[in-house]
Amino acid sequence: MKAWRKPTVEPEDHLDEIPVPKSFDASLFGRLIAEAKPHARLFVGAYGVLVGLFALELAGPWILRGAIDGPVAQAVDARARHADAFQSAEFVHDLWFWATLYVLCAGATILFRYLEVAHITRTGQTVIADLRTKLFRHIASLDLAWFDKRPTGQLVTRVTSDVENLSEMVTTGLCTLAFDVVKVVVAVAVLFFLHWKLALLVSLSLPVLIGVSLFFRGGARDAHRLVRARLARTNGYLQEVLSGIRVVQVFRREARVSERFAGLLGRYLEANMRTIFLFALALPALDFVVNAIQGATVWTGGIEILGERMSYGLFLQFWFYVKLLTNPLQELGERYNVLQSAFASAERVFGVLDTPPGLALAPTASARGVDARDFRGHVRFENVSFAYVEGVEVLSDVSFEIPPGSTVAVVGATGAGKSTLVNLLLRFYEPTRGRITVDGVDLREWDLSALRRRFGLVLQEDFLFAGTVRDNLVMGRTEIDDAVLSEALEASRAGPVVAGLAGGLDAPVAERGATLSTGERQLLAIARALAGRPELVILDEATASVDSATEARIEEAQQSLLSGRSALVIAHRLSTVRRADQILVMHRGRIRERGRHQELLRQRGIYARLHTLQFAEAEIRTP
Amino acid sequence: MKHLARQFRRFLAYKRTLAFGLLCIPFASAADLWLTILVGDALDDLRTATDARFLATLFFLMLGVAFVRGTFRFYQRWWIVGVSRYVENDLKQALFDKLLALPLSFHHKNRSGDLVSRITSDVENIRMFLGPGLMYTLGAVCMLPLSIGTMVVLNAPLAAAVVVPLCVMGLGMWLLSPRLQRHSLAVQEAMADISQRAQETFAGVRIVKGYAREDEQTTKFDAASRTNFRHQIELGKARGFSNAITWGSKDFTYLPILLIGGWSMIDRDFAAGDLFKFVDLTFKVFWPIIAVGWLAGVFPRAQVSAQRVQELLDAPNEIEDPPVPKELAEVRGHFALTDVEFTYPGASEPTLSGITFEVRPGEVVGIVGATGSGKSTLLNLFARLYDARGRFELDGVPLAELRLATLRGAVGYVPQDSFLFSATWRENLSFGSAHALTDAELAELASLSCMTDEVARFPQGYDQTIGERGVTLSGGQRQRSCIARALAKDPPVLILDDSLSAVDTETETALVRHLKSAGHGRTVILSAHRLSTVRHADRIVVLDKGRIEAIGTHDELVMRDGWYASTWARQQAQEELAEL
Repeated sequence: MKAWRKPTVEPEDHLDEIPVPKSFDASLFGRLIAEAKPHARLFVGAYGVLVGLFALELAGPWILRGAIDGPVAQAVDARARHADAFQSAEFVHDLWFWATLYVLCAGATILFRYLEVAHITRTGQTVIADLRTKLFRHIASLDLAWFDKRPTGQLVTRVTSDVENLSEMVTTGLCTLAFDVVKVVVAVAVLFFLHWKLALLVSLSLPVLIGVSLFFRGGARDAHRLVRARLARTNGYLQEVLSGIRVVQVFRREARVSERFAGLLGRYLEANMRTIFLFALALPALDFVVNAIQGATVWTGGIEILGERMSYGLFLQFWFYVKLLTNPLQELGERYNVLQSAFASAERVFGVLDTPPGLALAPTASARGVDARDFRGHVRFENVSFAYVEGVEVLSDVSFEIPPGSTVAVVGATGAGKSTLVNLLLRFYEPTRGRITVDGVDLREWDLSALRRRFGLVLQEDFLFAGTVRDNLVMGRTEIDDAVLSEALEASRAGPVVAGLAGGLDAPVAERGATLSTGERQLLAIARALAGRPELVILDEATASVDSATEARIEEAQQSLLSGRSALVIAHRLSTVRRADQILVMHRGRIRERGRHQELLRQRGIYARLHTLQFAEAEIRTP
Repeated sequence: MKHLARQFRRFLAYKRTLAFGLLCIPFASAADLWLTILVGDALDDLRTATDARFLATLFFLMLGVAFVRGTFRFYQRWWIVGVSRYVENDLKQALFDKLLALPLSFHHKNRSGDLVSRITSDVENIRMFLGPGLMYTLGAVCMLPLSIGTMVVLNAPLAAAVVVPLCVMGLGMWLLSPRLQRHSLAVQEAMADISQRAQETFAGVRIVKGYAREDEQTTKFDAASRTNFRHQIELGKARGFSNAITWGSKDFTYLPILLIGGWSMIDRDFAAGDLFKFVDLTFKVFWPIIAVGWLAGVFPRAQVSAQRVQELLDAPNEIEDPPVPKELAEVRGHFALTDVEFTYPGASEPTLSGITFEVRPGEVVGIVGATGSGKSTLLNLFARLYDARGRFELDGVPLAELRLATLRGAVGYVPQDSFLFSATWRENLSFGSAHALTDAELAELASLSCMTDEVARFPQGYDQTIGERGVTLSGGQRQRSCIARALAKDPPVLILDDSLSAVDTETETALVRHLKSAGHGRTVILSAHRLSTVRHADRIVVLDKGRIEAIGTHDELVMRDGWYASTWARQQAQEELAEL
């Protein structure tokens, strides 16, 4: 065990990727206090518990002293003077008094010890439970462009472990650590009150204890970061090798890979040994300082006892209070580290909360509500251009119209810009140029949430949520009752699917509908759109292949969804393009051809080729 | 228990250090006890002493003893916890080596997440229990008898009375631990629920927003969050009880000290110093007992982890050298497959069946078919990544009878996922070679894999780190780098699993020519989605649902009505369209 020296950080450690614990930041505390304000009562309770507990902690030794300096000392004294006439009964009676007092004190302490954990946990959890929902609501309101830039896992971390860490800021920061300061100050004052000479000696040595505690804190924090960095490096390599295990085995490189892993493990070990060294040193060092303080107490206290300026009871009381004083200081470093990582989480959480909400929540003051009777679903794209990344246009100067009740089908190769049309119509993004109107009103002037509820949406991902089948069909739209639902199920041919599930409409749907087949999920997605009796349908046909019986059902279901409604369809089915009132042929962000199926085929242009590619086989199957 | 005991044997590799570390514990405990006795005795001496000089001596003696105790404590932790880290490394290495040796069928069955968690969290659970856990237990084992023994000598009835609250605490914690476990499990589950709600909302954000469903999802999330809140509160209560029991029984230890000790002092001249010793020792026995309680709590988890680790270490390795392995002096690359059948472990239907064809030395054979027709599986069999049924021979010897090193040494393999390490380009290519490649060799390989220009543009040349932390290679560059790595081996047989899909058609033609010519009669077997890749192959095998639909040259297959001809027509149309 030699490796106690500070390991050299290597560039491969990528230490910069391990979050740096943030040092004290009053503004973050301010934010947290603002969040906590509605729960001020809980905090009052928490401080009440801490104050009560501290008072009891002070009372216990005071009672012990009372007993020792009272009946015990008097008895010892009395016996020394009149050994033969000594009667213990009176002193024992007094002792019982102090013992009863102590039982009351200890009993109350038990209650407060319970509350210390239970109530402070409640305080912390109450604050973060509200904050967590607030954070979630805020994230859900952000732009799609914001989501595009962030992996889902990272967002999940924000509402789970980061928020959880924040509770540490409440419990450790606002409660424990804040009160520790009070405790130390009061304890020192009490010591001075009891015996100022001894108190002076103890308080002069406290900075040493604080210094040692904070000194090791810094070292431990750095060492710990290196451990995390190197563990990440080792685990990263492990993951990598597991995913490339074929290559390793075919190339017979097991020995070489194993050696490399050994090297990484060695570095991880080196970092660990540093941490162990620091802890092995810090804990006894802190104990040593405490022992030295105690030794000095005995020395000075002994002199005072000899000079009869101090009683045994007072000495014992003093001894207890010194422990009361040094405990929070010994844990100071540890608590500070906890607080620092909570600060780092707080910064991330508040950073998200500070992101301005997306387009969806920022309708103009005169946002138009949707009147279902008047809504016709008349869509116009007027010279629309769009770029996800500045300078790279995926749509250029696109204009078309969906008259009420008619179906517009969009076809084109991958990357032609078809899904972007859908994204813009749903106002997930704003056009870079041009405008989109619905019933003659600019999309930006609609109350978006109300407008989207008039849309019937079927996307490629046919996403299902955990919950029952009914939940997934209703999607929180209160106007949908059972009658509407069964009508939608019948029209979408999804009735048999639901009937086949144990529990029917109330059957649970596993994560992302894992228990359902692709075809069944598609039928349910259509039923979901139908249930809303939408005026405007947005349909992104799935490309995943299904058997021909299911295919026929999906076609029928789509037909009932599209008939009599305005619709924008990204088409992959021959039946869809044949029936469409207008087909838009997209190529590299532009509309290159438009017309009906037969007309376009006759043009022998892009559509004709696409047709051979995508629909030729279907043409053979369905004459 | 037996699994943990087996893992403990790994600690014995460091038995000297461990023994020294363990030896420190009784000394440290004894020194701790001594400190209490020193102060207690001094308090007694004060009653008869006339001058205070002995207090100065006492102070320095206390410092000395405290220093000795600190030193022992340091070495105790440094050696015992240190050894536990060494053992952690040994165990991780053993598991890693085992994973490297296990056949692909094992990796196919076991998700890598589960394997990683065995090497990480399970090993950590075992370490915590056997390393620091052992240290705390032994600390308690030393401290308890020493302290209680001292108390008994001082005042037996009082010692007996002091033990009562300690027993109450032990009992209380024991009764409480199921409740603690239940609630912390509930909190974990509720946390998983929260995380799942967040996951589905953020991943399905288009549907959520498209249906204006933000509010409903927030309500559901809030419900999950509230459930978690309730369980957190319950857990807080249970932990509050545990806190109350621990501290309460400590506080109540002072009651007999006060009552019995005080009584003894009134009645029988029990020394004040002895009273102090009782008070101070109560402090000192408390923490070891709590530590043992903690250890008992983590025991079930450590046990399960030890079992999981052992399972992995004991996993049978099906693909190994035969008892008497056959060698080939020179591999010519002549494969003969007769009625080969393969079923994935756990699958009900075979993935391949009735596969019969021959690959002659120096031939280029293409394998094509729809997605899921079994192309990759078939290619994996050539390197014996799986064992198949039926006859599968290389140069007349069944693969299972060959020395594994001979077979795999002869095969250059380019995986479908173009797997490369996050390392330098040189390191990645050297993976295929027995030695670190020189610049000249790298230049040759770059040229063979049509990468010369691209490598020249790497800021760090051959020593350019690739992957996440370096230059991100395009799909085509990754594929060609993998080909270069396989060529670095100069193998008589080259297997490419759809490894040219991201390479443009022109480069592809050059590449296939290089692959064949550079190896002096090298056998090349390649699968492809894009039929132009296999167009010039000597023979093309068309797979359909795990069976051979047709075998022939490109010209023959195009003429014949079937999957190949129709796919060819479609891909041609696609290419024309792309050029518009």
